[in-house]
Amino acid sequence: MNAGDVIPEGRLWRIADPQRIGPGAPSFALRRFSVCLGEIPKRAQLRSRKMSQKSERRAIHVDQSELLCKKGCGYYGNPAWHGFCSKCWREEYQKARQKQIQEDRELAERLQREEEAAYASSQGAQGGQSSLTFSKFEEKKSNEKTRKVTTVKKFFTGSSKNLPKKDIKEAKAPSPSINRQISVETDRASKEFIEFLKTYQKAGHDVYKQCKIFLEAMHLKKEYNIEEQSEFTQDFYQNTADKLQMNWKLSPDKVETAMDQIEKFLMTRLYKNVFCPEFTDDEKKDLAIQKRIRALHWVTLQMLCVPVNEVIPEVSDLVVKAITDIIEMDSKRIPRDKLTCITQCSKNIFNAIKITKDEPASADDFLPTLIYIVLKANPPRLQSNIQYITRFCNPSRLMTGEDGYYFTNLCCAIAFIEKLDAHSLNLSEEEFSRYMSGQASPKKQDSDSWQEDACPGVKQMHRNMDLLSQLSERQERIANGARQLEKDLIDWTDEVSRGVQDIVQKYPLHIQNPSQALAAIDSENIEDDRLPPPLQPQVYAG
Amino acid sequence: MAAAGGAAAGVSKTYSFKVVLLGEGCVGKTSLVLRYCENKFNDKHITTLQASFLTKKLNIGGKRVNLAIWDTAGQERFHALGPIYYRDSNGAILVYDITDEDSFQKVKNWVKELRKMLGNEICLCIVGNKVDLEKERHVSIQEAEAYAESVGAKHYHTSAKQNKGIEELFLDLCKRMIETAQVDERAKGNGPSQSGAARRGVQIVDDDPQAQSAGGCCSG
Repeated sequence: MNAGDVIPEGRLWRIADPQRIGPGAPSFALRRFSVCLGEIPKRAQLRSRKMSQKSERRAIHVDQSELLCKKGCGYYGNPAWHGFCSKCWREEYQKARQKQIQEDRELAERLQREEEAAYASSQGAQGGQSSLTFSKFEEKKSNEKTRKVTTVKKFFTGSSKNLPKKDIKEAKAPSPSINRQISVETDRASKEFIEFLKTYQKAGHDVYKQCKIFLEAMHLKKEYNIEEQSEFTQDFYQNTADKLQMNWKLSPDKVETAMDQIEKFLMTRLYKNVFCPEFTDDEKKDLAIQKRIRALHWVTLQMLCVPVNEVIPEVSDLVVKAITDIIEMDSKRIPRDKLTCITQCSKNIFNAIKITKDEPASADDFLPTLIYIVLKANPPRLQSNIQYITRFCNPSRLMTGEDGYYFTNLCCAIAFIEKLDAHSLNLSEEEFSRYMSGQASPKKQDSDSWQEDACPGVKQMHRNMDLLSQLSERQERIANGARQLEKDLIDWTDEVSRGVQDIVQKYPLHIQNPSQALAAIDSENIEDDRLPPPLQPQVYAG
Repeated sequence: MAAAGGAAAGVSKTYSFKVVLLGEGCVGKTSLVLRYCENKFNDKHITTLQASFLTKKLNIGGKRVNLAIWDTAGQERFHALGPIYYRDSNGAILVYDITDEDSFQKVKNWVKELRKMLGNEICLCIVGNKVDLEKERHVSIQEAEAYAESVGAKHYHTSAKQNKGIEELFLDLCKRMIETAQVDERAKGNGPSQSGAARRGVQIVDDDPQAQSAGGCCSG
């Protein structure tokens, strides 16, 4: 460790620490520094301190004036604070800022005074003091608003450089050319459209011209009421279809394909302006229905009487497909494509019902299932999509065809969800409000058929686990039974032997010897002792 | 109505009609329409995936007709959704079960509602289904026919099981719808744009009054 290392490090420490440091700081700092290096042996530490003191002395000799605060308050300064110490720097900085603010305010006030004077002179006598201030306030507000808008716009367009340019172009030429708002998709759509119209020859040319005129007119109507725009579009569809049929004598099939293409071409262009426009409350409705569906998350298949058995893997696959289809609707631009999504969803539902019930689905089966799917999917911007299709889809398709039928059913499903109450789910008011407030969940009651919203594999696993636990329970029971039986058997033998013993004790078997008995009889005669001894043969010396 | 007018303005004179099937659940709406379009009853070999939306092409006296038959959910809880189904329809088939008095009562409610909402523009057919169960009849023929006449509807007796009276029902309905469409056409004049405007007139009006009526019929 040499002196050259220590000093910069010491300075670094000082820079890093924003605390005010007194003149004695360097040595303190160094001490702290060496403390940090606690592992260094004491002697080495001492040496290093000596060395650094030496070098410090040299550094101070050179930099003394530079190290201290420029203001001469006696504290050390810092290059990051322009040579001031932290306190002096803060003061300096504040002062400069105050000055700037003051200047700005003065400028603003001067401008305002000028403006007021100009306004007063232009208004003449008619504007009273109060109205003047109010208008000023209004003006300020609107100014603020526009400023906000532009910054927001800048924020969004900032990523691509050519967009602002287009804005300028748009502003310059109020009559819009058909090539405005070029995006890849619209570009492709118009190319396809032109290709398609070539097959219609003269009629195609006429249609193209009409479409162009229509688009320009629609652009001028941009600020209009959406219903007017819708009506205008519907009129255009009707007139074009009539014209194709009457003037160009095309077959109905051909008219239909042409109308589809026209719709596609027009709506890819108009989509941005007429889908969920700001001046309608479509978005509010979207949010409302979304919230409503979320609140109804607890509704089960059983409550709606849905004739679909999700335990069958094929059926649950179809249900998932149907949900995906209905969600996908939002990503399409053309009303007809959106309708196709609804139709596809409905077809999947029909298949699911057919597999479950093995008979063609009637409306009695279909509508509840569709409601269930909508509740499960909670499709994004549902109301906006419905409104958009109603307003801008070709009416002939919407009113009569199969697509129209499914669309109508979807509208019904939404209407049902909006008005749904306890009665329509066969629940009591109390139950319904409890579910709605989240105090209770019906899932727990019939968990067998519901097991979260898991995939069939997980559901199967849950079921298997249930079965396994049941099995082990039964095994346990069998083992217990066996043990019991064993115990019973042992007890039984014990009991039998005990019983036998008891009986044996109660009725002891004495097999008495008859001679013994006689002896006993004899022995009982106590008097015998007193009897004279039997005659003894006497030996006489004879 | 106007849908038919618009389509009829074409060269080929093809009428497109929308017919709704209304009635309580279990009265045999689905069987009826399956018998008509597929000529099958309770059959395992029914090819169609669904019986809720079926189409049939007809040729009546040289006039081509595209019939779209819309089945509706008959459960009580979906009653309020009726207006969404039957708007812009040209005809309505109101089915009841002759063995079930309640289902006939339900038909009466539907008739009232339809007349209120759509006026006389819609052709009504009241259909007593399941005549094969004549023994268990609970709705008298006289009463049903008298009622139908009183509301300007036609009454039919059908049996989807025995395939009785169904062909006649639809044929008759189509003829009546063509008549109404022609009258309508003449009244409106032949201007296609005019009919277009009228069509949308119908379309735009639909939302609010329907909602109101739905509430009304529910409470009533």
